Amino acid sequence: MTGPAMVGDSFRLGYRFQRHWDIAMASAFFFGELGAGLFVVAMISPSWPVLVLGLLITGIGKPWFHLTHMGVPRKSWRAILRPDRSWTSRGLLGIVVFTGAGVLYAGAVATKGLVPLGEVWRVVAFLAALVVMTYQGFAMSHSTAIAIWSTALMPVASLLYALAGGTALMLVIDGLGLAPPPFPNFAVMGLGVAGALLVLQASLLHAAYNGTPGAKLSASLLLRGRYAPAYLGLVLGAGTVLPLVALGIDADGLAGRLVAAVGLLGGFYAFRVLIFKVGVYEPVMRFGGIGTPR
Amino acid sequence: MARWGMVFSLARCIGCNACVVACKTENRLPDDIYFTRTFVEEVGTFPEVRRVYIPTLCNHCEDAPCEKACPSGATYTRDDGIVMVDQDRCIGCSACAVACPYDARSMIEEPNDNRGLFGGAEAPPAEPDAVDRWRAGTVVKCDFCSRRVDRGLSPACVAVCPTEARIFGDLDDPESAPSRLVRTRNGAPPLPEKNTKPKVFYIDY
Repeated sequence: MTGPAMVGDSFRLGYRFQRHWDIAMASAFFFGELGAGLFVVAMISPSWPVLVLGLLITGIGKPWFHLTHMGVPRKSWRAILRPDRSWTSRGLLGIVVFTGAGVLYAGAVATKGLVPLGEVWRVVAFLAALVVMTYQGFAMSHSTAIAIWSTALMPVASLLYALAGGTALMLVIDGLGLAPPPFPNFAVMGLGVAGALLVLQASLLHAAYNGTPGAKLSASLLLRGRYAPAYLGLVLGAGTVLPLVALGIDADGLAGRLVAAVGLLGGFYAFRVLIFKVGVYEPVMRFGGIGTPR
Repeated sequence: MARWGMVFSLARCIGCNACVVACKTENRLPDDIYFTRTFVEEVGTFPEVRRVYIPTLCNHCEDAPCEKACPSGATYTRDDGIVMVDQDRCIGCSACAVACPYDARSMIEEPNDNRGLFGGAEAPPAEPDAVDRWRAGTVVKCDFCSRRVDRGLSPACVAVCPTEARIFGDLDDPESAPSRLVRTRNGAPPLPEKNTKPKVFYIDY
């Protein structure tokens, strides 16, 4: 006996791909984290057009793809009802607070203080942005069903990719001269997040290979299976190595920044899609275990 | 109040799938939606090979991860321990489905929502109240045939099992058949490492 294998939707015992969260959900995660990440990066040296851009990406992109995914879109408001137990509810509340406080903060920056309580909105928007940047990782890590998701690294991944996405967009915005950089030598942040993403991916794979058989299977699908070209080429190659090289060669030029930004964003989106694609349910029973022949 | 649970005897299950057909008929489930399945696995090496049949359904966990993940309150646990989905409240986000370690939930999608077992609009003659039970875009799963249980009947899969491989009863009653089997035959839940405290157990005679 070779042990359980992928069995699709058959009546066989084995591993099954999760099929419930798809490209639309990955896109919603991507845009939610990207917009909040850009907003937080732009808060370092506030520029209201960039703040608004971050709000638009999260406030329009994320709900659009969530509604595309939702089975009963007209009842989506109900997702806010259980923040006591569901990370989805907590995240939705975070998005509402983030967009509300974010608009007021951007307004305060744009009008140079005419909107009252600007400092309060800044703090509230920042805290809510942190929720938006991380809750999706918490929602995934909270599930023990999909072994490769069930790790404390998932919220870290959400946070890091959100910062990476925001940094990528800011590199281009700064490179085009559309807004001032958050701080001098901003390209260093691009190098930093790309390096951190490389360490994160290594840590995720290490945790998966030292985890349950389901987590190992998912990791092997990323490295040797059908998703290996996309993972190695996009998530690792374009998403981490390419930005490091591009910014290492041409940190201040527009070309280097564009290449780095495209790589970071491509790797980010590919990671969001692939982590859903390789998620597997483990067999409900392991032979040699409960009630089965040894 | 009873606390309903089920025991599967792996030695008794012969893989006839009468339970699967009864479930689909009782619940008028469309194509590709199953609330219960009987997995089959060949074990051993030639010439010592045999087939093992493993019935599965929603385990109605005490610590149900699907209920915790549900953002709309659609998934809830009845006083008798049956984990339910309120279709009026379900928004179809699938958070419950990715949280269930047993892959026991399915999404009803158009045009499958009202096609029924035989692809037509008519209900099976035995269960006319199942018509229009499912709504497109919502997540569905086994509810231990709660409508039957409320009428004092056992779930359809239990009622039709020719070998009595499925034993249903009150887990709070120490003298009920499932309680005795769990106690005396070392009944074990599926994937105990997930800490969901299922109310479904497997025994091997």
